Amino acid sequence: MTDVFIVKWIFAFSPILTVLVLMIFKNWSGSRAGAAGWFVSLIIATLIFGAHPELIAHSQMKGILLSLNVLYIIWAALFLYHVVNETGAIRAIGIGIQRFSGDKSIQILIFGWIFASFLQGVAGYGVPIAVVAPLLVALGFSPVVSVAVPAIGHSWSVTFGSMGASFQALMAVSGLESSYLAPWSAALLGVATFLCGIFAVYAYDGWKMVKHSLMAILIIGTTMAGTQYILSVSGMWTLGGFGASLAGLCSGLAVAKLKIYNQTPPSQTQPEMGLWWALAAYFILIVIVSTGVMIPAVNAFLGQAKLSFAFPEIISLKGWVVAAGPGKAINIFGHGGALLFYSSVISFFVYLAKGFYKPQAIKTILQKTVKSGVPTSLGIVSMVCFAMIMDHCQMIYILAEGISRVFGSIYPLVAPWIGLLGAFMTGSNTNSNVVFGVLQQETAHLAGLSAALILAAQTTGGALGSMIAPAKILVGCSTVGLAGKEGPVLKTTLRYGLVITGIIGIITALASFII
Amino acid sequence: MDNFFKKHALKLKAIALILMLVIPFFLYTAAMQGSIVQIKLLLALMIGTMLFVLKKG
Repeated sequence: MTDVFIVKWIFAFSPILTVLVLMIFKNWSGSRAGAAGWFVSLIIATLIFGAHPELIAHSQMKGILLSLNVLYIIWAALFLYHVVNETGAIRAIGIGIQRFSGDKSIQILIFGWIFASFLQGVAGYGVPIAVVAPLLVALGFSPVVSVAVPAIGHSWSVTFGSMGASFQALMAVSGLESSYLAPWSAALLGVATFLCGIFAVYAYDGWKMVKHSLMAILIIGTTMAGTQYILSVSGMWTLGGFGASLAGLCSGLAVAKLKIYNQTPPSQTQPEMGLWWALAAYFILIVIVSTGVMIPAVNAFLGQAKLSFAFPEIISLKGWVVAAGPGKAINIFGHGGALLFYSSVISFFVYLAKGFYKPQAIKTILQKTVKSGVPTSLGIVSMVCFAMIMDHCQMIYILAEGISRVFGSIYPLVAPWIGLLGAFMTGSNTNSNVVFGVLQQETAHLAGLSAALILAAQTTGGALGSMIAPAKILVGCSTVGLAGKEGPVLKTTLRYGLVITGIIGIITALASFII
Repeated sequence: MDNFFKKHALKLKAIALILMLVIPFFLYTAAMQGSIVQIKLLLALMIGTMLFVLKKG
């Protein structure tokens, strides 16, 4: 590599490095660090890579179209979560599960692995750890274990959880279809499903407990990984994480009735709300998403209105050409976010009719949705916009070229680590996919590797990064009185997160030799 | 001033988010019309919004 190329590579890396340093060492929020990255990329792109005002204008518009695709799902998912949570249903689901088994390993698996994944499927953004950690403390687990276990346990479901927001982001930035990306993503995340279950139990009580729960992990893991794979490859990736964890919940409750796991009497606490009513919103969601995705007439009807823009060919002052073409279209009424929104509204009226809400509940729901949605959205928009500036000025291409020259054929081993790094620094699989998705795709292309496999490794690493993301650990620790004492939790999750990512890297490398 | 930001933090962030989402649409229109002056003005507005997010986001 020439000296000039190395200098250009360092400049191209500087926006990402800025975000990394500010989030990891300065504890900045995603939105502030994203804005800083945006400024650095704007300056470097203009001074070094030949960006001009017209190029910046088009890149920002493309960035907003990508952001809107992701934000649509995030806001609708948050709205649905608050519609449900405001009735007390999340707590009722927790108590309902607790009444099935008194076995500690089963409790760890059901709460820390399955229920946390279920919450990731319907909400995400730190909710699984924040909700499950206090429930585990109440069951008698230590605070460190109570935060670490759901952090490890839910990670496998992050990509297809939150109604597939992270997967949507991966499709948006790469421009590739779900039918191409889903099989490898679901396969690698399927492997991660088992590993997360094993290490969640191991974090509680070592190999002895893993041996005791091995049968449960195999049955439940196969159910969840299999369901996620089927839903994802059949086009219902918005339900991938949610459907898989719901199936896992059913198999987990069945496994809890096996003789070896049923020797300690379960809790007799009665929930204020029946389990079926608590789950009603999610049954409505399944019906609406299935109808919207699987019935061609409904799908075509909802898909009539699309927001789409055409972009001309853009050439930077240094001669880098971005081809003309349409930006990411937004299917206004048939988008995953729209289907979620319909489900939320119907669920709200069902719960209202049954009298589950306090007066002024809608105001509280909207306030909570806005409060949690705005900071997340600021982070996503600023990061997507700076990623688009980088993409339009050859910066991502130069990064990818440098990585492929250094790592060459062993790049698949490295790919999940890049995803993990992205999630660690931004606290989000979605942001990781946005920042590094195009880079990984370009590197795969230059190294002659399957983009589907490398992007699957990227998003799997990004999902696993959720267990070590300081932003999420902080949320969990604050709910169990560990605020300011996050170190031991991070130490635990870091250890297992690195091991699982290493295994995924080896599997990706092996798979790259086969395909 | 700090009190004002603290009191209205969420509203101000929401306004910043709306601006971040809306300005690029105008930028696109200006770029399609080839109006460099409009693009520069809108970019200045975008920079101002990002500066707010950088400080208070």
